[in-house]
Amino acid sequence: MIDDAGGTTLVRAGSDHAHSGHCFAAALRAPVRSHRLAVAALHRLALAGPTSSHGARRNSATEGLQKRVFTATRRVKMRETPLSNCERLFLLKAIEEKKRLDGRQAYDYRNIKITFGTDYGCCTVCLGKTRVLAQVSCELVPPKDSRPTEGIMFFNLELSSMASPGFQPSRQSELLVTLNRQLERCLRNSKCIDTESLCVVSGEKVWQIRVDVHVLNHDGNLMDAASIAAISALCHFRRPDVAIQGRDITVFSPEERDPVPLSIYHMPICVSFAFFQQGTYLLVDPCEKEELVMDGLLVIAMNKHREICSVQSSGGIMLLKDQVIRCSKIASVKVSEITELINKALENDRQVRKEGGKFGFAESIPKERITALKREQAPVEMKDIEETADEIVREAEAPSEAVHSPVIVATGTGQVGEGLQNTWGLEEEDAEEEFQGGMDGKEKKKDEVMVISDSEEEEVVILKPEAQKSKSRRPKN
Amino acid sequence: MAAGFKTAEPLEYHRSFLKENCRPDGRELGEFRPTTLNTGSINTADGSALVRIGNTTVICGIKGELAAPSTDAPDKGYIVPNVDLPPLCSSRFRPGPPGEQAQAASQFIADVIDGSQIIKKEDLCIEKSKLCWVLYCDIMCLDYDGNLLDACVVTLLAALRNTQLPTVTINKETDLAEVDIQHKRHLQINKHPVASSFAVFDDTVIIVDPTAEEESLATAIITAVTDEDEQLCAFHKPGGSSLSAEKLQDCITRAVARHREIGRLIDKVIESTKASK
Amino acid sequence: FVEERSGVGSVLREYGSEQNLLSKPDGSASFIQGDTSVLAGVYGPAEVKVSKEIYDRATLEVVIQPKVGMASVRERAREQCVRETCEAALLSTLHPRSSFTLVLQEVHDDGSLLSCCLNAACMALMDAGLPMGRLFCGVTCAIDAESQIITDPTAQQEKESRALMTFAIDSKDCSVMMSLTKGSFSVKELQQCIAVSQKASERIFQFYRDSVQRRYSKIL
Repeated sequence: MIDDAGGTTLVRAGSDHAHSGHCFAAALRAPVRSHRLAVAALHRLALAGPTSSHGARRNSATEGLQKRVFTATRRVKMRETPLSNCERLFLLKAIEEKKRLDGRQAYDYRNIKITFGTDYGCCTVCLGKTRVLAQVSCELVPPKDSRPTEGIMFFNLELSSMASPGFQPSRQSELLVTLNRQLERCLRNSKCIDTESLCVVSGEKVWQIRVDVHVLNHDGNLMDAASIAAISALCHFRRPDVAIQGRDITVFSPEERDPVPLSIYHMPICVSFAFFQQGTYLLVDPCEKEELVMDGLLVIAMNKHREICSVQSSGGIMLLKDQVIRCSKIASVKVSEITELINKALENDRQVRKEGGKFGFAESIPKERITALKREQAPVEMKDIEETADEIVREAEAPSEAVHSPVIVATGTGQVGEGLQNTWGLEEEDAEEEFQGGMDGKEKKKDEVMVISDSEEEEVVILKPEAQKSKSRRPKN
Repeated sequence: MAAGFKTAEPLEYHRSFLKENCRPDGRELGEFRPTTLNTGSINTADGSALVRIGNTTVICGIKGELAAPSTDAPDKGYIVPNVDLPPLCSSRFRPGPPGEQAQAASQFIADVIDGSQIIKKEDLCIEKSKLCWVLYCDIMCLDYDGNLLDACVVTLLAALRNTQLPTVTINKETDLAEVDIQHKRHLQINKHPVASSFAVFDDTVIIVDPTAEEESLATAIITAVTDEDEQLCAFHKPGGSSLSAEKLQDCITRAVARHREIGRLIDKVIESTKASK
Repeated sequence: FVEERSGVGSVLREYGSEQNLLSKPDGSASFIQGDTSVLAGVYGPAEVKVSKEIYDRATLEVVIQPKVGMASVRERAREQCVRETCEAALLSTLHPRSSFTLVLQEVHDDGSLLSCCLNAACMALMDAGLPMGRLFCGVTCAIDAESQIITDPTAQQEKESRALMTFAIDSKDCSVMMSLTKGSFSVKELQQCIAVSQKASERIFQFYRDSVQRRYSKIL
């Protein structure tokens, strides 16, 4: 549907690994569909197919629904700069002319960069300008009652307010829920990880594997970036080895025993397709601007064996059967490329670690950029430190020995400092008298211990004689 | 006239006092407000204390509960401090989850407990990797008029000294814990930390024990926590205007003197309750 | 590697920074100290919520995101420290009734995380071009069991240390803007650590200058 000839004039964004997908895209070209399907209200498109919706024809309700879809996405992006009509029209026009803002072809991915951290199970993925950080961690927990022999997978995707000013921290936006759900469907429901191998003691202790995905910069297609980051991190992760002796579980530190990798059956990866003009045009890996003008989104999660793990269509457009099939064919090519890239990155990291070379994020700072700078380890001058410190301590005045001495106003209540504005039902004179009256014959006594005091006030300690009586009555409490 | 001046130009109002080396409430720059302490204020708690510094009133209740120690530290109990700033103490706090100040205060108290080792967590262990005490230290502000941290540390220390826990033994045959309510023991208090807070006005003038109004006008707040050996347990300055090392040293000197004062107050009060038994 | 360091006692691990690496925020920077790494993003000046508006200056919000799990009380306390430090450095009166947002993402914690946060924050604020009266940097010092001062400790050294202090040092007169400590220590040790941090800060400020110079070398 997007003519390749139109793309030849465009400058490619420098994606080196998406080229093969580009060739494949040409083979997949399909005639532009002239007839448009109406958008049926609240019709969630899954694989069910467009046949069921033929009844609903295009009418004014279509526009109404589209508006609703847009307001829904708009609500999430509260502080986001809205897209102007000019921009919207320009983008749509460009897409009609088979051009993309960054010069990509319709089926091209942006550059993907995967970097692993020093920790096991930590990686950042850059998809063009979209940047995502994933960290896998584990913990021993009791299993779920319904599945006593299976470990627990927990996914948590966070839309940090760093990624976009529209993302509010600690707010469950619609986008956040959708992304989290999609990530779970892609990685947990596809059973790509052997959860039974995470069982330590059946019904008592299993490993809970927690995947935290932080979106750091939002430039569209968060889903693909998140799924690549999550699966790469899971592949990279090593959990501590455990030994069971009777009922005791020993967890070994990495020094004692090499940590063990998770057993992963396959690597599902999400590929997003954006549809424009009710499905006339299709783009792979939409950037943020393109996401703002798209009519619908189809996300296919697939592994390199061409097995579909989940298909999700949103935005309320109707897709024809062959459109979905075409998308899945494109997805299979993209997935095999990305899988290869992940494996290469993992292999690289493994190699560097084995050779004892430098790895981690510190190594990923680009050296040639003028915005980046690095300095080697530097000693700190320690020469005059002791003298300086000594001098400051010496020069300071000694703390004054003379301090206010406390006054015991009643049993368990004492006060220090002058009676300024402290009116706590114990105003000096009144209170004393009250106590004198109430608790017959309270003894007033000058405190001899407090001789250091320089304060001129009288130090008064009131002791309750009746308390002594009670002490003798109750030998020890 | 003065009231109008205070409302219209609060900062100028304070400056005019500071120029004369005194403060609107009549205190000198280095003078604390009167501090009143009452222990055993809450009967239902295992230990409690109420402190009033000027108008700032803070109450602390200690509750001991039994729990299993964590696997990484099988010979240690837990101390769980929490500082609550309910709307009742000041109109600046809203109902709902704790705000930043309350959370920062809770973290500060936790740091002081860890840093000073007021109580050795090992002392709270009853049976290794089986049973230990959890001390919930709930600190609640009843009236907020500045210098929350000082009041919190005093009330925490007094409440811990006031705390009595029943003796617990593990029955070897049944493997169950037996609690002996008749025999209660005081906690072993290791260190006696006392906090002193300072506010910095116009990046230069340092005053002690700021009121809520002074706090809101100040350019920085400093809290130094010292113990009886003149060691520092915390030196907390969350940002604000920069100060030279010499100025900070002055604050520490004042904090050491304050420690003597408060240390004696707590000793006296605890003594008086012991005498009354 | 650790042995080599402990002999010297006081070094700053290799450090580096990259500015303007995120497209969305108005200013962004990553700061790396050894393996510790923090990413910072700044938005502002922007529209402010009515409830948070201050009539004579800008409102600064600081968010610290831990790598695993949700932000806890510890992060809140750190946020407060970073926020008040930035507030003192920023000339926020130049943007009344607006908001600055600073988001710090922990990328890897291998000790001295708070000082790395402060450095990343300062680099990001510079990148965003916000008006600042002074710069600041963070230095963490640990005192080990033998009362030796270790600057910029690793996570392992932090764990073994008796006391841990983080200072924010001001670029104008090398005085202390922020201090957060853990553990107990003597007054003299505190003063020594302040003096060491002031010495160490000179290197970091030089690094700030170098990176700004490098960045604008093509224009100037």
